[in-house]
Amino acid sequence: MDILYLLIPFSVLLVLALLAVFAWALNSGQFDDLQREGERILADDGPALDRHQAP
Amino acid sequence: MDASLQAPGARSARGRGRVDPRLAGTAQTSLRIGGMYCAACADVIERALLREPGVVEARVSAAAQVAMVRWDPERIQAGQLADAIRRAGYDASPDTAASARAARKSEARTALWRLFVAVFCAMQIMMLAAPAYFTDPGELAPEYKKLLDWGSWFLTLPVLCFCAAPFFARAWRSLRQRAIGMDVPVSLGIAAAFVASTGAAFEPGGVFGNEVYFDSLTMFISFLLGGRFLEMRARHQAESALDDATSGLPQRVMRVAADGTVQPIALAELRVGDRVQVPYGEAFPADGVILEGSTSADESLLTGESRPLAKRPGDAVIAGSLNLAAPVSMHVERVGADTRYEAIAALTRAARTLRPAVLASADRWAGPFLWSVLLLAAIAGVAWSFIDPTRTVWVVVSVLIVTCPCALSLAGPSALLAAAGAMSRRGLVLRDLDAIAALTRVQTLFIDKTGTLTRSAPMCAGVQGLASDDPDIALELGRRASSLAAWSHHPLSTAIQTAFEGDGAVWSDLQELPGLGVAANDLDRCPWRLGAPTWAAPGWPGGGPDTQVILARNGVALAAFRFDEHLRDDAEAAVASLQADGVQVRLLSGDDPLRAERVGALLGLDSARGGLAPEDKLAAVRAAQERGEFVAMVGDGVNDAPVLAQADVSFAMGDGAQVARTQADGVLVSNRLADLVRARALARKTLRVVRQNLAWAALYNASCVPLALLGLLPPWAAGLGMATSSLFVVSNSLRLAR
Repeated sequence: MDILYLLIPFSVLLVLALLAVFAWALNSGQFDDLQREGERILADDGPALDRHQAP
Repeated sequence: MDASLQAPGARSARGRGRVDPRLAGTAQTSLRIGGMYCAACADVIERALLREPGVVEARVSAAAQVAMVRWDPERIQAGQLADAIRRAGYDASPDTAASARAARKSEARTALWRLFVAVFCAMQIMMLAAPAYFTDPGELAPEYKKLLDWGSWFLTLPVLCFCAAPFFARAWRSLRQRAIGMDVPVSLGIAAAFVASTGAAFEPGGVFGNEVYFDSLTMFISFLLGGRFLEMRARHQAESALDDATSGLPQRVMRVAADGTVQPIALAELRVGDRVQVPYGEAFPADGVILEGSTSADESLLTGESRPLAKRPGDAVIAGSLNLAAPVSMHVERVGADTRYEAIAALTRAARTLRPAVLASADRWAGPFLWSVLLLAAIAGVAWSFIDPTRTVWVVVSVLIVTCPCALSLAGPSALLAAAGAMSRRGLVLRDLDAIAALTRVQTLFIDKTGTLTRSAPMCAGVQGLASDDPDIALELGRRASSLAAWSHHPLSTAIQTAFEGDGAVWSDLQELPGLGVAANDLDRCPWRLGAPTWAAPGWPGGGPDTQVILARNGVALAAFRFDEHLRDDAEAAVASLQADGVQVRLLSGDDPLRAERVGALLGLDSARGGLAPEDKLAAVRAAQERGEFVAMVGDGVNDAPVLAQADVSFAMGDGAQVARTQADGVLVSNRLADLVRARALARKTLRVVRQNLAWAALYNASCVPLALLGLLPPWAAGLGMATSSLFVVSNSLRLAR
């Protein structure tokens, strides 16, 4: 069970890392206009498919 | 080129600490977009902007209908940005509400960030706390428990220092002002729980015992932040709706000069009498009349009328409404502060800052309430330290947290604000929130005739020369009267002005006497009067109830004007439903008694009195008040202003005189009397909701505080209960806003 001494501090650090990811998403404005992000797929001409995506 | 576009308040692109080389030396501008109907429009606009050389970044928010553009001042000018948007088929204007919107955005981001950190950490702490809940006493080895407690403590730190910081800051601020606020017991509860748990985590079995409350503490903070986040969202929605309503005027106006050329001028340069072209999709810049072209207009922000209204030449349009169908040209009649649009905007701004009596009374006893909570918590602490010392902290924290004076103090104002918002969308803008309660108590409604029961714009049906029957002379007199009438805003003056073109006579010593007419001297210092027959030509025997206005020189009657007046379309139905509702409707008019009685009989009013001067109207209202009746007044003119101020609650018509609007408690911007009936029904519902809210808050506190004192309510349940009780009150009130 000594592994707990490693795993619990590790999980705490992981929480902090996840918080940092969320902070980046929030500050880059990803949560400012949720309605539009949902409708983006319906936009008529998005960026063209690149060679790997094209059939 | 637009002056306000040239000076975009260019902020340097340097963010905090970090400089993106791409953004160095760029300016940032916020543009309000017109003509967006769906989220897909945002992409079109963004691409149109990005095609312009010199645009570094363009982001369009579909919800706010605003474009944020970052551009290089050396390669492009701000005016070209707006042009690019216009070429894409939309309209762009400088965003005057940008700073308020930016403030809201950063507030929303911070609130979401605090909420996320609190919830995420609380979930992790709950996982670390789970072993303690699921094992039997003694089964969990002390060193593992210690490890888990330390982990919890570490994750509590960001919640305490960052997420709960606003509570501590507000509590400290209210303590420094020697007041006690909601945040004081909350902060005390948080601090007590943290100190006790920290002691237990680092020195198990010490003064603070073995129990840690990190999970309860962080969950409580999360619930509280969640409740405040939802409240903030509702507030932001209301504010941005208000911004939309008050930033609708175009900044540039296309004025048609006398020779037919069109030149763009700033809105502030627009004058009464100008002729302007209003492009399709843009807002009408002023109140006025359509001259050429047919279109439809969206007046929903101003009158609550949701259907587009057809507008043909001769129809009135109001500033701030949108031209939906085709370009038209219009004649400007009122600009700036005189427009209905400005009046509504000013009223709404005022209503946002006022404090109704209900709110003041709630604040008055929130203080004693909070002191008794602190006292109860102290007593509970002492009592439980004798009964069961291990649970003392737990009970004290629960008591501090569970009490919810905010549900009590939100009960009234949240309902009143929601109801006022709903009313303003349906055509009644309130200047005073106390009018809602007053509206339900109305027993007698005094109502003015001209402009209130009848349409404000009577039509001049004809002029009759009194000295001779020659129609040319009569026309000449009509034109003379029109140039005198141009100095008055009385509906009858407006009708004369509309019917005859002024002859350009020069007047001096102009005087407008409320309820009588206009008096002025011509160039020969000969006195002219246009107005009530008995005043303009005291000795003149002629006329009858149908002669309302005569033109007189030196006391000699020269011409008589006939008017047709139309009852407002909904007057009859509105009066009938008010009477069915138990309200006596009485007519007070400055107009001829016979005409007043005729309208009274037509509508089935309880009484109708005509020929009243403003003092007489005032006396009639005072008499009713002395009889103990609760009196409402609806009026529109200058002569109604003192009566509107005297009545217990008063409403002015939206197209009435400005002085009447400023004296009234509310303005019927829709000019529909039926909206008053609907508002009364809504006001009743509002008071019912306020009573529900108060009952709920009282019941909640009365049942939860004893439970907490008895030690039956753990801190996390206390936090949940408190957040729910506030949310219940707010969402119950928001039912009214629909």
